[in-house]
Amino acid sequence: MQNEIAQTERANMISHSDIRVPHSAMPRSRREFLASAGAGFGAVAFAALNAPASDRDDPLAPKPPHHTPRAKAVIWCFLDGGPSHLDLFDPKPALAKLDGKPLPASFKKPVTAMGVTANNALLASRRSFEQHGRSGLWVSDWYPEIAKRADDLCVVRSCTADGLTHVAAVLQMTTCHQLPGRPAVGAWAVYGLGSACDNLPGFVVLTDTTTDPPGGNNVWGNGFLPNPYRGSRFAPGPVPILNATPPAGVSDPRQRAKFGYVQTLNRRYAADRPGCRQAEAQIASGELAFRMQASAPEVVDFSKETAETKALYGLDTPATEANARNCLLARRLVERGVRFVQIYMGAGSKWDAHADLEGNHGKLCAASDRPIAALLTDLKRRGLLDSTLVVWGGEFGRTPMSESGNGRDHNPTGFTTWLAGGGAKPGTAYGSTDEIGLYAAENPVPVRDLHATILHLMGLDHEKLTFPHNGRDEIVTGVGGSVVAGLVG
Amino acid sequence: MPRSPGTGLRFVLVSCVIAAAAPGPAGEVPWAFARPRPAPPPPVRDTAWVRTPVDRFVLAKLEAANLRPTPEPDRVTLLKRVTHDLTGLAPTPEESAAFLADPSPAAYEKVVDRLLQSPRFGERWAQHWLELVRYSESEGFKLDRERPDAWRYRDYVIRAFNDDLPFDRFLRQQLAGDELEPGNPAAVVATGFLRVHPEESNGADYRQIRQDILNDVTDTFGSVVLGLTVQCARCHNHKADPITQQDYYNLQAFFAPMYQRDDAVLLPPAEEAAYRAKLEAWQAATRPVREQLDRLLRPHREAMFAEVVDALDADTQKALRTPEPQRTAVQRQLAKLGGKQVTRRTDRAYRRLDGDQRKKYDDLVAKLAEFDRLKPAPVPTAMAVTDVGPDPPPTFRLAGGDVGRPKDPAVLRFPSAFGDPDPVVKPPADRPESTGRRAALAAWATGPANPLTGRVVVNRLWHHYFGRGIVATPSDFGEYGEAPTHPELLDWLAAELVREKWSLKAVHRLIVTSATYRQGSIPDRNPTVRAATKADPNNRVLWHMAVKRRDGESVRDVSLQVAGVLNLRAGGRSSRPELPAAVAESRYAWTPDADPAERNRRSVYTYHKRNLIPPLFKAFDAPSRNESCPARATTVTAEQSLAMLNSEFALDAARRTAGVILKGSGDRPAVVTAAYRRVYGRDPTRPELADGVAFLSEQSRTLGREKLTDATLPDPKPALPAADAAAVVDLVHALMNAAEFLYIE
Repeated sequence: MQNEIAQTERANMISHSDIRVPHSAMPRSRREFLASAGAGFGAVAFAALNAPASDRDDPLAPKPPHHTPRAKAVIWCFLDGGPSHLDLFDPKPALAKLDGKPLPASFKKPVTAMGVTANNALLASRRSFEQHGRSGLWVSDWYPEIAKRADDLCVVRSCTADGLTHVAAVLQMTTCHQLPGRPAVGAWAVYGLGSACDNLPGFVVLTDTTTDPPGGNNVWGNGFLPNPYRGSRFAPGPVPILNATPPAGVSDPRQRAKFGYVQTLNRRYAADRPGCRQAEAQIASGELAFRMQASAPEVVDFSKETAETKALYGLDTPATEANARNCLLARRLVERGVRFVQIYMGAGSKWDAHADLEGNHGKLCAASDRPIAALLTDLKRRGLLDSTLVVWGGEFGRTPMSESGNGRDHNPTGFTTWLAGGGAKPGTAYGSTDEIGLYAAENPVPVRDLHATILHLMGLDHEKLTFPHNGRDEIVTGVGGSVVAGLVG
Repeated sequence: MPRSPGTGLRFVLVSCVIAAAAPGPAGEVPWAFARPRPAPPPPVRDTAWVRTPVDRFVLAKLEAANLRPTPEPDRVTLLKRVTHDLTGLAPTPEESAAFLADPSPAAYEKVVDRLLQSPRFGERWAQHWLELVRYSESEGFKLDRERPDAWRYRDYVIRAFNDDLPFDRFLRQQLAGDELEPGNPAAVVATGFLRVHPEESNGADYRQIRQDILNDVTDTFGSVVLGLTVQCARCHNHKADPITQQDYYNLQAFFAPMYQRDDAVLLPPAEEAAYRAKLEAWQAATRPVREQLDRLLRPHREAMFAEVVDALDADTQKALRTPEPQRTAVQRQLAKLGGKQVTRRTDRAYRRLDGDQRKKYDDLVAKLAEFDRLKPAPVPTAMAVTDVGPDPPPTFRLAGGDVGRPKDPAVLRFPSAFGDPDPVVKPPADRPESTGRRAALAAWATGPANPLTGRVVVNRLWHHYFGRGIVATPSDFGEYGEAPTHPELLDWLAAELVREKWSLKAVHRLIVTSATYRQGSIPDRNPTVRAATKADPNNRVLWHMAVKRRDGESVRDVSLQVAGVLNLRAGGRSSRPELPAAVAESRYAWTPDADPAERNRRSVYTYHKRNLIPPLFKAFDAPSRNESCPARATTVTAEQSLAMLNSEFALDAARRTAGVILKGSGDRPAVVTAAYRRVYGRDPTRPELADGVAFLSEQSRTLGREKLTDATLPDPKPALPAADAAAVVDLVHALMNAAEFLYIE
């Protein structure tokens, strides 16, 4: 299958009077130029060298949803490594009673990543749980700030996944499949809806460390979808997009003049080749690139944020700074029309507490509690929470059996993910795990159902959102999946 | 979910005149499964236009629609096109001058012959093949470990294309080189085709991983060789094509005995024997020391073995705990796959030795090193496959593709729709330890009765030349794929390939010397543009040549070439170029080669790591190498523009190019002319010259007000005022950013 697609411009043009181009009779606008070049505006945007007739013009142009969306954007806080549901959102009094005892025979022995842990003694949570808000949702003392937002949360206690190891499980949670090479759900969302923003990518990935999550860029890949739907990983620092700033030592006027000359060359090329859509696409993508040089640094520049906002997120505290930066940045991205933001917290499987759960989770919870709570608060007070779906979760939870005496192994058979805003049912606990939190009991929610539900809230029907590949109309789940009505408010 | 007929990307008929071959009526064998029926090239009115028989097929369709082809472009454009398509590079100024000055009517054919003989030809076409077989030098998944010998397969492909190894033999070597040509090191390396799949070497469930690998190899064979989406039949009968689920597992049975050989020795038998003798001498001499080491480490090794093995699936645990001679075929395969992490762990057993023991260990290691003079030098090895033994593991149809639900046993039978007799499979005479299954499959795939293999490969060539295959879905010739636009041409080319003894170069030549290929690409130059645009807006009948965008590998190669630093050293260990700072910190990043020349080799030699594709390649649509890629998407994005405008690589290329240009003296018009010649291979037109000169003078004036750093000046620094010199860098950089550099007309 061949896709010939060009990014196009959809909004403001650069004013050409800003760019000094020697000895060229410049059309006043690109629109005028195109008219003079004999191409209709509709023909501009895309370079379908050999695209089949039914291909869409512009891959990022906004597209109508399948139904009225509840969420315009998604911010997904991904706790990389597998946070323990048993110590955060899913209290198990029975487990406390069985502390130190073997797994009762009434439970099916699970296959675990570390093998031996299936035979290890059970480990009670050392945390204390309380009910919060009017909803009375249980949250442990590791998450005091998020606990204050309990009435916004839709806690799914019955998630299930299939991957036992990090790569397979992270890939499944992000792409719905354990093997690499499938598009991330964020890529599907942008493919389905287009981008509401003309100078930033539609799908942005943020990480708190320089380490990749397991699976590397496969977890935000475009798979078989065209390249523009791939997640763009922002680099930390003032220039988040690769190459979005002129090389060191190149001044602004110098860059501007050079770019002006590039576009002169491109325009002459296009004018000599009437009807050549590639040339038009090249001009458009050049202009978008030039705009991104301004918009990319702008979005990461927090100087216009108030001190109160910065403090709210915890930007002033070393422990919370990295997540605070990414949460605040996520809000700014969503405000500017970015469709899907994935924030990796503890990137590089940091939540993977095979030993010393208390030390590991204690630190990571402290680093993520305030920033995530602030994100909910800030979105709400700006009126954005209704239209922004926030997701919290990892690739799996952790076992009730102990590992290394004080840690827990991977548990994909029952764990917690929560949703907030964006049409998710607030103040709800959905589904349950068994009495020790090992297996999902009531209303299990497999990953494919979670993805179908997220897309549903975004206005997309996961079975209608198809892309032809290798003889199939592929959908995000591959096969099946259904929207979980109980999560929709 | 399968597509419903008539939707999605299915070819929309634009007029009854230009209808593609419609699928036959229900009940008939689908066209792809029927043998090609090569007919002689059809008669045409304008015989003067015809250069090769290919043209008759194309022109007949055009004439039937009352359309004309687009006239040939100028020689510069033609030379750039054919040089790109055959070598991925740009013509050098000398090559351009020679072609422009050659009055011979065969001047173009001479160029084609020169390019087909160039070592650069194999490098270019190997890139397409490597993408198709998802070649990489790392295993993927989280560890993404390096595969140190994988590059030999890359060199094998390049050499095969350069030597014009007959395509049928090329396929047979890749499918069964170990069985068919056991004494031929190249054929052993060729089986790397079956070994380049991704692999999770630190996984937990090797029963599943073994199945994943078998599925991957079966699917890749179906896509690459047959152009069929056999993978659709993994869980159920194919919804569109006549491939049943049983067919799928029958096909898989040919691969089921495969056994990884990552240390296949590539030496002639005599040299290998000498090596083995030397190795045995070293082993005998060091036996006491090694036994002492073993005694020291064994308890720790055993503990570590248990730690690792306990975490694996039950079948693999059992396999690893069964003594090697008693293992079944499947157990040997599982132990091979699952054993890698065991070895990796137990190799570090010495770390668990405490004080005294550690000292003892260090002393023994030092003692062992004293025997190093006896040790033979390492021998060249390849990543290859053989069969696990003459008794293959059983294969079953798996319900829903689930490895836990085996149903009917597979039989050695080709997919039933082909209607071929079952193969007689027996171990090759000189390879009694093999099953002969893959040799049988290879013989069938390249046999005279196979309707697909030849069509599929000629279509792939066509795809790369015209940006779209005769069948637009080069790895799906089935019902869900696109119907061929020129079915008679496809069959004729496939027959020509066989007639030419499977010489791909013969087919390349037929295509690139055709008038069809030599057409202009600007639609408006076509005398029948109005009618053509209306009847065939997507150029299905080829009334003009396609415009192609360079891929990232070619952008890089040509940038280095223009800058005068492209290192054409061929083959061998891969090159590790610099990585941009943004990814240099990644856990998957490599250390760049110390020697800058080594970093500047052609992109096909760039170390390929599944989890870290260099951003420039990625921006220009390099596909993931986790699955076969028959046709790249070609996108035009801001990311590409940013890479060309702001990356260190692009600026560096511009600085070096400016350095070369400024070695010759000259005024501004001379500099602009030199820049156009170097970057575009042509002289500027008068308005272009005027634009360039004006840009230089204005940019010099702007830069005269700035403090310039060396990092933005030409390399080497010329004897010019800094502002003038920097302006030349900008001129060149702009030329390299513009469409003319990136597109092939």
